[in-house]
Amino acid sequence: MPPPEAHQPQQKIAMPGVKSVVAVASGKGGVGKSTVATNLALALHMLGRRVGLLDADIYGPSIPIMMGVKETFDANTTPFPLTRHGLKLMSMGFLVKPETAMIWRGPMVHKYLTAFLAQIDWGVLDYLVIDLPPGTGDAQLTLTQTAPLSGAVIVTTPQEVSLIDARKGLEMFNQVRVPVLGIIENMSFFVGADGKRYEPFGRGGGIKLAKEAGVPFLGEIPIDPRVAECGDGGDPIVHKYPDTDVAKTYLNLANVVIQQVVRMTDATEELPTLQL
Amino acid sequence: MAVSTLRPVALKKEGEDRLIIEWNDGHRSEYLWTHLRVQCPCAGCREEREQPPDPFRILKPGELVPLKPVSISPIGHYAYKIVWSDGHDSGLFTLEHLRRICQCPQCSKQ
Repeated sequence: MPPPEAHQPQQKIAMPGVKSVVAVASGKGGVGKSTVATNLALALHMLGRRVGLLDADIYGPSIPIMMGVKETFDANTTPFPLTRHGLKLMSMGFLVKPETAMIWRGPMVHKYLTAFLAQIDWGVLDYLVIDLPPGTGDAQLTLTQTAPLSGAVIVTTPQEVSLIDARKGLEMFNQVRVPVLGIIENMSFFVGADGKRYEPFGRGGGIKLAKEAGVPFLGEIPIDPRVAECGDGGDPIVHKYPDTDVAKTYLNLANVVIQQVVRMTDATEELPTLQL
Repeated sequence: MAVSTLRPVALKKEGEDRLIIEWNDGHRSEYLWTHLRVQCPCAGCREEREQPPDPFRILKPGELVPLKPVSISPIGHYAYKIVWSDGHDSGLFTLEHLRRICQCPQCSKQ
């Protein structure tokens, strides 16, 4: 990949081979957004779709470790995207060592994100899943202004502190008119050895938020220690243990996302232009 | 908090001085270019509008000729960016803002 070229701010990026671009977002960090993005992308692939996964978290990329990419690559000689477990991948973590801190202001984030979208040959994809960083800042603005987004999935955990920030994410997508495909609640519950359901972070936050915002509730993802083990080991749970409840939830989620993207096609139609 | 469904279906230039937007609810908006520039939502123009008028303000060279738009381009699914003949291009006109500042006879009355 050559060094990023300067793009006109807000210039729309054409991605003719990519049918749908789905952002995975949250207001708050630490809710498992990268885990959801990775497993959702793999679930879409397991349902027979051609899928790419773009890690838009320039400051704290997680996709390399979750997809088992431990080395860094020379941007001038490596033909990105990489391919792992059948997904096409791009992340800042492929270019810099994990211990390197990216101390950048917004324009540099914009420059690299637009380069990841426009200068990488993604080829033909049914879905490009974008793992957004937390918050409502530069990366989110760049992607909503320049990428042909089909919709966004909001990830939250059940407790109020996470819902507060998820509401901000919802409001941002509302303002920039990116349809919210739905809300997914991560870390909802676990089933103990006694067979009972335990909800350590509270109950019903995700569904409450979905009702409040008038968007679909996509489901609850249970807590399973194997999720973290698989993520750290570079082989996500959907791929490694496809028969677990967690994996089945992701496969259901992928099916719903496929249906929702089709439903939202009218809302993401390009705005008319005017030649002066 | 659902995404607004109001959106333009066509943009047209009428004569030399105005823009027409046709919306999906059947409304036809009119805007003089001068009105759009006065309503520019960028931070700089907003601040300028909020200041008391300065009687000793010196006109900039660009203000001596009528301003014209050079290009209008969509931003994502939610706004248009207008680049003006004096180089000003920092205002993003959201669809809601455009609808609010409509100058058609019906909206002007309200």
